[in-house]
Amino acid sequence: MALDRLFNLGFDLFSGISILLLVSIGLAVIFGMRGIINLAHGEFIMLGAFATLSGVRSGLNVWLAMLIAALSVGVFGIVLERLLIRRLYGRLFDTMLATWGVSLILVQLVDNHYGSVTEGIVVPVGSFAVGEFSMSAYNLILMGAAAALTAGTFTVMRRTRYGLLARAATQSPTMAQELGVNTSLINMWTFGLGSALAGAAGALLAPLVGVIPTMGQTYVARSFMTVIVGGPSFIAGTVSASGLLGLVENVATNRFTPVIGQAMLLIAAIVILRFMPQGLTGRRDSR
Amino acid sequence: MMAHLTRLAGTGARSGRGSLGTDLSVAGLALAAAAILGNLVEEFTAFEWSLWAIQAILALSLVLIWGYGGIFSFGQAAIYGIGGYTYGFWAINFADNTGESLTAVVAAVVVGAAFAGLLGYFMFYGNVTNVYVAIITLATSLVLFAFVNSTSGSEYRIGDAPFGGYNGMTRIPRLTWRLPGGASHELTRVQFFIVCVAAGLVIAVGIRVLSRRPFGRIAVAMQHNELRTELTGYNVRAHKLALFTIGGGIAAFAGALFAAWGRFISPPVFSLTPAALVVIWILVGSRSSVAGAFIGVLIVEGLSSWAGGSDGNNEPIVLGATLIFIVLFLPGGVIANAAKAWAVASSKAASRWSTPPASSDSAQASQVQPATPPVPDWMVEANGERSNSPIATRMVTKRFGGLTAVDNVTLEFPPTGVSCLIGPNGAGKSTLFGLLSGQYSVTDGMVLMDEQNLTKWPAFQRARQGIGVKLQVASIYKELSVRENLWLACFAMPHNRSTADVRTEQLLEWLELSGHAQNPAGTLSHGQQQWLEIGMVVATSPCVVLLDEPTAGMTREETRRTGELVSQLGEWASVIVVEHDMEFVRQLGAPVTVLHRGQLFTQGSFDDLSRDERILDIYLGRE
Repeated sequence: MALDRLFNLGFDLFSGISILLLVSIGLAVIFGMRGIINLAHGEFIMLGAFATLSGVRSGLNVWLAMLIAALSVGVFGIVLERLLIRRLYGRLFDTMLATWGVSLILVQLVDNHYGSVTEGIVVPVGSFAVGEFSMSAYNLILMGAAAALTAGTFTVMRRTRYGLLARAATQSPTMAQELGVNTSLINMWTFGLGSALAGAAGALLAPLVGVIPTMGQTYVARSFMTVIVGGPSFIAGTVSASGLLGLVENVATNRFTPVIGQAMLLIAAIVILRFMPQGLTGRRDSR
Repeated sequence: MMAHLTRLAGTGARSGRGSLGTDLSVAGLALAAAAILGNLVEEFTAFEWSLWAIQAILALSLVLIWGYGGIFSFGQAAIYGIGGYTYGFWAINFADNTGESLTAVVAAVVVGAAFAGLLGYFMFYGNVTNVYVAIITLATSLVLFAFVNSTSGSEYRIGDAPFGGYNGMTRIPRLTWRLPGGASHELTRVQFFIVCVAAGLVIAVGIRVLSRRPFGRIAVAMQHNELRTELTGYNVRAHKLALFTIGGGIAAFAGALFAAWGRFISPPVFSLTPAALVVIWILVGSRSSVAGAFIGVLIVEGLSSWAGGSDGNNEPIVLGATLIFIVLFLPGGVIANAAKAWAVASSKAASRWSTPPASSDSAQASQVQPATPPVPDWMVEANGERSNSPIATRMVTKRFGGLTAVDNVTLEFPPTGVSCLIGPNGAGKSTLFGLLSGQYSVTDGMVLMDEQNLTKWPAFQRARQGIGVKLQVASIYKELSVRENLWLACFAMPHNRSTADVRTEQLLEWLELSGHAQNPAGTLSHGQQQWLEIGMVVATSPCVVLLDEPTAGMTREETRRTGELVSQLGEWASVIVVEHDMEFVRQLGAPVTVLHRGQLFTQGSFDDLSRDERILDIYLGRE
């Protein structure tokens, strides 16, 4: 195989993995830290994309629009947490059903407001060529962003006061409370952080994919599979699961169709969970 | 009528009260009413109602697996879609030749059940938790949605039937039947309506019959306490799989009727809206009663058709708001809340005449006559002949990540009599029990019983082999009655209902819990809960009884009685007791094994060990 072709395949693969990582990392924060199944996660991504679109339409610089989009989805997440999620901690199924309700409402509201047509965003980045293959420079930005957001999340969790308190509240909420940690506030920030990351994913995806109200559905299933397959140490888990599942999806998509790629991702995830119920980073011998 | 519905709702998944006769007469009345109404109203109205009956069947499939088995699935609508497509493929290809489409319905049920079975195998045998089941079924629906949407090309076809992509599959034959050699008959719209209602009622009655059978009771048990059900000797994974497969069959059946109803099926059936609808129906009705499925569909679909048809643009908004509203304000559904209000109202009326609860009486009674009733014969008889060594470990080690909880322990216990296992916190006592009972798998070493190697056996098989374990924190079915708790344990060993009925009563007497038989087990005192669990453990007549801190939190008198119970058990079984209460250990007068930091420290009689300075050292942390 020619070297340029190999490079092209690898470039594709890493783009795919970066996208998987981007759409999963926000969910991983919320699910990993608070055990909340946020079924509206896909819609948070969608909101990020539409917010970017609105920003660009009103004449903002693309990159600034993306930043604002991510932050506004974060604020939206905080509001939702205060209004709804806050009442449901510890009620796993109820949270799931309620966020599902949120997801249905968001899709329809956005559809009513924007319509269901696809709109593109043009980014001022060109393409570059390796041998015979031309590649989009934007994908490089995507990879960089995925790496930066993951590293950023890791740093926040490990190095900041908030991160320490959040991890304490995850491991033992009652103990954290007894030590005077305002766990309610920590929960709010955690949900906000996860939402902002989802918004950022949507913003970054907006120039690549069709921005439509139902785009969240495309990502919600695979982001959940990625996070579950990742297992308990959620950052390392999400990174490794993105790599593995991204590889499976990419190969199947190249070989067959994108739909088969998606199906293979799901099947791979189910098979992995059959033999490693705790996920990739789970302790293998504690049943 | 309302009172009857409340009763239906109340008895649903909770217990097996009510009888087949009542169910059949209610179902018969409902069918007669449907038949009369169907013939009175306009043909088109009856036809519209058929859809509700079909949706109720779909809702029933979720009541079965979620309400009874505790498995929450988003995938029922997707399996419904699979059923519809299967019916379409089969009927389009064969109905012209065979003159009937009933075999297509059968094919749909088989394919739906097989799909659910395959998915269920991977989920349940992978031991994924209930939340993951929800997510995996959701993801599966979305992938199916994407797949079927992408099949508009003409190469996607089975025989004469194209998938049709996002346009869906059209010209699906209606429901048609034919006797061998006779002419073929297509059902009229009214007939189709009556068939749908009848099918729904048959399935509903079937689910209620199942719920009174041991299969259904075990399903309810595993919903309330999966671990205890497994440790009692039931194969929880197989039960879940069976339940999920049956639920898949029912959903696919509804899908086949749907395809025959509209002569059409399209990909949106796999999307999130129908998946949400199924959940909403039974959340509005009641997730744990078959009546809830019908009532939920009637309320939701009735309201939406009254509000101007369900094809309005804002349906998802209404659905979403309904979900949030129910979760916040109506957990349990309309029926359960109505039933609760009814119960509160009637108990207020009754409370003026109520007598003080019976519990204080029986507590006094047990103090008046302290002699412990004799052990039921059957427990002893089951253990007539035993080999020399009922249970032993060979160099077992258990590591949790970097922590070695049990380190190279070789132990052997006598075939009968009591043994004690002591050691400071973190010595590995409970972990060792977990290794013996099969809750944990060993990292290294072997677990043997009667010269059989049990190391790889799952917990339920070890329970059947005769290992019973009482966990450190009492593990009982708190929401089920005391009698139901014991019955489930009694039924586990000889799978025989009448034997289990008799033994349950004997155990109630032996444990002096007869006065509380109808109360939820969670209302028992702490000590009584411990006894109940001990009773459930010995109900399977085990030859090895593992008791993890049986007297924790008990009063002095309760501890003394527990000591007597343990000694009684020791006459015919090997009883291994983990205990921190040294007074209790001395009372038992049994050989003592000391564990320390996961390792075997020493063994001997209580008196020997109480003179051993090293044991004081490890308990006090002196080096």
